[in-house]
Amino acid sequence: MADENDNERIDENQRPDKMFTLKKWNAVAMWSWDVECDTCAICRVQVMDACLRCQAESKKDSYGKQDCVVVWGECNHSFHYCCMSLWVKQNNRCPLCQQEWSIQRMGK
Amino acid sequence: MYNLKMLKGKGQLKFEDKWVHMRPIVLKLLKQEAVSQAEWHDLFYDVHLVCLWDEKGPAKLRDHLHEDIVQFIKQAQSRVLAQREEEALLKAYIAEWRKFFTQCNYLPTPFRQLESSLQGKTTSASSSMQGSNNKTNSSDECIVRKLMLDSWNESIFSDIKHRLQESAMKLVHAERNGEAFDSQLVIGVRESYVNLCSNPDDRLEIYRENFEAAYIQSTEMFYKLKSSQYLAENGVQAYMKYADAKLKEEESRAQRYLEAGCYDVIQCCVKVLVQNSLPMLIAECAPLIKAGETDRLQLMFRLLERGPLGVQLMLQQLERHISQAGLADMVAAADVITQDSEKYVERLLDLFRKFSKLVHDAFSDDPRFLTARDKAFEAVVNDTTVFRLELSSGRNVAGKMVTPESKCPELLANYCDLLLRRTPLSKRLTSEEIETRLRDVLLLLKYVSNKDVFMRYHKAHLTRRLILDSSADSEKEEDMVEWLREVGMPADYVNKLARMFQDIKVSEDLNALFRTSTERHDAINIKILNAGAWARGSERVTVSLPVELEDYIPEVEDFYKKKHSGRKLQWYHHMSNGTITFATNGGKFDLDVTTFQMAVLFAWNQRPTDKIAYENLRLATELPDGELRRTLWSLVAFPKLKRQLLQFYPSVSAPKDFDEHTVFWVNQDFALIKNGKPQKRGKVNLVGRLQLSTERSQIEDNQSIVQLRILRTQEAIIKILKMRKKITNTALQSELVDILKNMFLPSKKMIKEQLEWLIEHKYMRRDDDDINTFIYVA
Repeated sequence: MADENDNERIDENQRPDKMFTLKKWNAVAMWSWDVECDTCAICRVQVMDACLRCQAESKKDSYGKQDCVVVWGECNHSFHYCCMSLWVKQNNRCPLCQQEWSIQRMGK
Repeated sequence: MYNLKMLKGKGQLKFEDKWVHMRPIVLKLLKQEAVSQAEWHDLFYDVHLVCLWDEKGPAKLRDHLHEDIVQFIKQAQSRVLAQREEEALLKAYIAEWRKFFTQCNYLPTPFRQLESSLQGKTTSASSSMQGSNNKTNSSDECIVRKLMLDSWNESIFSDIKHRLQESAMKLVHAERNGEAFDSQLVIGVRESYVNLCSNPDDRLEIYRENFEAAYIQSTEMFYKLKSSQYLAENGVQAYMKYADAKLKEEESRAQRYLEAGCYDVIQCCVKVLVQNSLPMLIAECAPLIKAGETDRLQLMFRLLERGPLGVQLMLQQLERHISQAGLADMVAAADVITQDSEKYVERLLDLFRKFSKLVHDAFSDDPRFLTARDKAFEAVVNDTTVFRLELSSGRNVAGKMVTPESKCPELLANYCDLLLRRTPLSKRLTSEEIETRLRDVLLLLKYVSNKDVFMRYHKAHLTRRLILDSSADSEKEEDMVEWLREVGMPADYVNKLARMFQDIKVSEDLNALFRTSTERHDAINIKILNAGAWARGSERVTVSLPVELEDYIPEVEDFYKKKHSGRKLQWYHHMSNGTITFATNGGKFDLDVTTFQMAVLFAWNQRPTDKIAYENLRLATELPDGELRRTLWSLVAFPKLKRQLLQFYPSVSAPKDFDEHTVFWVNQDFALIKNGKPQKRGKVNLVGRLQLSTERSQIEDNQSIVQLRILRTQEAIIKILKMRKKITNTALQSELVDILKNMFLPSKKMIKEQLEWLIEHKYMRRDDDDINTFIYVA
């Protein structure tokens, strides 16, 4: 039975359309900060979440506008930007490796 | 003239001289005979003189007065006692007493002088000590009056009080038996008891010790006999009516015959009528609850509420009934409700409403009964006989039994999904109806002890709805989140949900930007989501995408890199999905499929009529074994389709039975069937329930619930200890349950384990003296 069908279908394959064509694709991806360590060593919260301070504040106004980004130092250690900017006021060294702190890049 | 006489008689004026004049007037007064104004005045004057001029006068005056009063009382007594018949006796006594009592108000007046001279003597000695007391004494209570009353009390009253009481009680007894009589008689007797008392601190002393005691005793005797007789003859239900009526009757009787505020007798009636037959009454409670006899229950509640213990026992009965009837109902419907979350929720709500109505109708929503309802209903909701959810922590799987939990939260979450997703159910209902039903779910959720499980399932469903864009009403979705917040779901759970909505909006904007950035991407929509808010577990599934899809990836990634920095993207192909067009012999069909299904189907694009072996499909798609089997199964045996997309050989009955040589081919005769006829065009959704989790991640899911509970418990223990510094085990446990109850009910075992862990890691220690006290270690 299969053989019969095969013979019949050979012509049909000449059709310009493929048997299955894509009409729409809803692709899903997740983004996360490209960091070595998942938690911010300063506030102990996951870097993907807003830092403690921002979480507490954002509760008051509407949630969501948590622009609590990540910052990378030259030493390649990363922290919440909010946490680090408070930290450097007291001590201009990376809390993890004690190297002098200078910003390599900021998350956006 | 008087002055002269007075002066002349100074030193010689004797009490005896004056008493001769005074006595007849006193006797007249006692007998209530007419006294002329002159006589009345003379009496005043004589008393005055005696008190003033005769040193021993006042004492003598008092003694003589006493003698005469006693004499008078004796006569009265004999008049009273001459009456043989009870009613006549009472009448005579009351008449004599009224007369005497009236005179008690008059006779003392002329003797004011006597009062003060006697008092002067007695009080001067002790005035320094109790000045204030004397003041009230002398003004309230005068000596002559007291003399009169005391004499009455001593001479007549103590002799005949038993007869009096007996007669009065006989009358009351007769009234109880329905005979009419003059109630004034009883009231009169009572008044004499009350007024007789000369003790200013406790005016009701005599009344209470005699009249009331007798009243209570006779009441008790009466009902002891009657109640057991009535109960035996008429049964419990009639008896309840009887007891209720009798209690009301006794209340109004007590108001008539007893002093206001002295209703100990009612307590006594309650004891006899209710408490004594408590076991019989309570035995009737369960059948009444079962039969829903709210009127009778109301009556029983009213009766038992009067005494101690009764209500407590009723509560137990109610609680037992609700949990038993509720469970029985669940077990009886087990087949339906385990399959159908809508039926389950409806059933549960029906039960809840039924029980609430019972509590409302029978017990007027008394808070105690509401609590009993809540307690019992909670037991029904969290019961594990019908279905259970087993949460293993994953750490100690080997042989250890895990406490099963009710599957209720999962079913509630499924039901919410039915209401919030575009489903036949949500289409059928109006917006208001959906809201009502969602609120019903929240009502039930209140009783669920493992709420964290609900939140987890709810989040999974929400994820599906947002990714597939299948919400029936996005406003309602967000309302629901707020309602969850309102009913006290922990803020961090709710915030996560709120973040998902925010994130999906951000992603929509991004998608719009992406689509305008280049024109040839009509076929693709992207959702790039915050892993912190959405990601579940560690698992991502690898798949080799068809080239048509693969081509898009670098472009999306480049676009994203330009918009953001410091971010990495991970594709979640098990969540992504799309629409493909399938051209068959007979027509063209649009298929909504998952990306996995797409990957499998596109394998035939190069060789449409080939039969491809399982093993080759695996190599082509690179899907993990389990995923491939499941995906294939959805294409060869999709429940809603009469003609399937793929066919296969040899036939098996479950995806696990495919082996590597099983061959699959495209069903070229695929068509949608409508009214028994194959259609040429059409659209079908093959996504079904979007697989968010693979089998492994489902176990991971459960484990993460347990892990999270462990963390929460540790957190809460430390929080409590930080505050209290030192706390006993029992206090700690109850505070802990209080903190955690909005998420889950911590088991004793888990609390113990976490305490041990915290002690081991030096977060806290046991008290040296008391092993059951914990101390915070900073």
